Amino acid sequence: MIAEELARGDVPRNALFHVAVFNVAPTLFHSATPEQRQRFLPGIRGGEVWCQGFSEPNAGSDLASLQTRAVRDGDRYIVYGQKVWTSWAREADWCMLLVRTDPSASKHKGISCLMVDMHTPGVEVRPIKQAWGPADFNEVFFDDVVVPVENRIGAEHEGWGVAQGTLAAERAVAILEMIERLKYHGMEAAIREAATWRLDRGEIVVDDSAVREVLAQHYAEVHVIRQVLNQMIDAIIRGLDVGGTASMIKVLYSELLVRIMQTVTDLQGVAGQVDVGVLACAGWETGFWMNDYIHSFGWLIGGGTNEIQRNVIAERTLGLPR
Amino acid sequence: MPPVGLSLDEREDLRASARTLLGRSCSLERVREVIGTQPGFDADLWAQMVGLGWTSIHVDERHGGAGCRYLDLAVIVHELGRALVPSPFLASAVLATGALAAGDDQDFCAPWLAALADGSSIGSVAFAAADGSYELDRLTTTWGSSGEEIVINGTSGFVLDADVADFLVVAARGVDDDPAVVLVDTTAADLRRERVPTVDQTRRIFTVAFDSVTVPSGHLLCQPGPAAAKLLDRVLAIGVVATAGDAAGVAERSLELTTAYARDRMQFGKPIGSFQAVKHHCANMAMNVEASRAASTAAAAALDGDPAGWTTSASIAASYVGPACSEVCALAMRVHGGIGFTWEHDTHFLMKRAKLDEVLFGRPSWHRRRLADAVFPWLVTA
Repeated sequence: MIAEELARGDVPRNALFHVAVFNVAPTLFHSATPEQRQRFLPGIRGGEVWCQGFSEPNAGSDLASLQTRAVRDGDRYIVYGQKVWTSWAREADWCMLLVRTDPSASKHKGISCLMVDMHTPGVEVRPIKQAWGPADFNEVFFDDVVVPVENRIGAEHEGWGVAQGTLAAERAVAILEMIERLKYHGMEAAIREAATWRLDRGEIVVDDSAVREVLAQHYAEVHVIRQVLNQMIDAIIRGLDVGGTASMIKVLYSELLVRIMQTVTDLQGVAGQVDVGVLACAGWETGFWMNDYIHSFGWLIGGGTNEIQRNVIAERTLGLPR
Repeated sequence: MPPVGLSLDEREDLRASARTLLGRSCSLERVREVIGTQPGFDADLWAQMVGLGWTSIHVDERHGGAGCRYLDLAVIVHELGRALVPSPFLASAVLATGALAAGDDQDFCAPWLAALADGSSIGSVAFAAADGSYELDRLTTTWGSSGEEIVINGTSGFVLDADVADFLVVAARGVDDDPAVVLVDTTAADLRRERVPTVDQTRRIFTVAFDSVTVPSGHLLCQPGPAAAKLLDRVLAIGVVATAGDAAGVAERSLELTTAYARDRMQFGKPIGSFQAVKHHCANMAMNVEASRAASTAAAAALDGDPAGWTTSASIAASYVGPACSEVCALAMRVHGGIGFTWEHDTHFLMKRAKLDEVLFGRPSWHRRRLADAVFPWLVTA
């Protein structure tokens, strides 16, 4: 309900706190000790910014092959390595970091999850400029960064399970808000704006029957994804496993988003190629459709690429062999 | 008062018992047998369905029904699709029942509804033009009054199970284009029913010709004109939602057959389901099935609510579900390879039923245009 209302009101997206609210908080609920929850949750409520240190240059889709090392030294870990595509790392106070604690174990086994204070000496952040201009994400370097053992979430070497829970939560709940935004301020705004545009022969865009059909199909699909989400929330309430459904919703949402942006940039014609210099994350994405079009491709990759999601659906939900 | 209906657990119990019965009595081998014989469905199974109360689920308690909701009826519709059951259920228990329940003259409708609910009668609806259009001004059946009688002429297309129907609920166009909805006894002389051979043999479709068929004017379900148009819209929505639910069931079965095959079929020394190209086809099928199930269920639930909700939800389901389920059946054929292209295999039966479901109550493109007409003006001025 909160997500619906935020979306309806076109409140600027809570992007800066996205990781804290949608990734870290659920992880704390399912994997942390009561003391750790006591320690970190008030900060999240108070507006601390978090980032998520999962991907590495050589560990993208194959996340479990990550190489950032944490060596145990009494009651602390010494962390050395590099993370990449880390959104909001420059603004972040904390990082939820996946590290390798046992290099001799098989790749899914020797991983641990650490909460790292981004102000610790040895943490260096370098911005990466994105395809659509700004630099929201970064590379993060860890050069012998000291992390207390009490900052580990879950058992030592069992961070992979912690990460799986985090990614599932990210896929499911975060998209609820996104689909509501897409409904009100993506799809409906596109139809409203398209009512003021004209096609090359002077026809009003939304009066053209072929265009109406395509837009109506997008409109229908936005609602269908919302209905899949409702079905999933019912299943969560009944205590069923919805891991596969969360992957489906991520794929359905991201690919529909790209299709809608393709349609709208096509309908806007060359006028849509004028750079109006709007920043992202101000309401529905920007209202600058070409910018949103480029931005939309990020959803195909973030949180696990759609290709990997399809493997997850096939293996986990359908039971196909690995 | 909206009907209370079944709880979630009761609905799942109904689903489980339906699946057990149909698994036992309506295997795909049995479907093959039944469609080759007269009347083209299993009369014993139909009697069992009636006996279990399936035909009375959403009939009001006043007429001997269970007084449940479309959401509950949707469980049976889905299971009948899964099992490709040939039966007059859609014609009689969904469409004719839905039309009579929506009629303004409930005193007239009551005994007919009761007969549908207890299975003593089978009904169907003749709402489409000869070419399958549901646009009222294109209806090819006309009505006129002659004293206390209504006279019907012309042809209605794509009428389900007309040969076994005891009566039809007929949509006809008047001289001033005002539509009327009238109940016609099929024993009337001057009414001809001709089977139209369809690619999907699990459904039985007829053209019905009326040659000055006369019925008492008391057989009108409501006043001709806007009330009749509203009733026709309601029955169209019911048909759309039911075929969406049926298609979702078909697609679900198709997905199950395909994943089982992908696990078993070995090539290059491995199950083909271990190859990513095949996995991704299966994942796409699973997403379409999940979304179709959600959309058809949401549209069924909306039928129990207010008209603004059900027209939009039905259009959304009609725009999305049919094509999505046909795609599932198409991918099933691809993953099955050569064997999926044979008569011997079941994939083609699934594809044919899904394809008919997609268009039986109007093309998806027509429903998208209807959706645009309903929603865009409101959005543009909002």
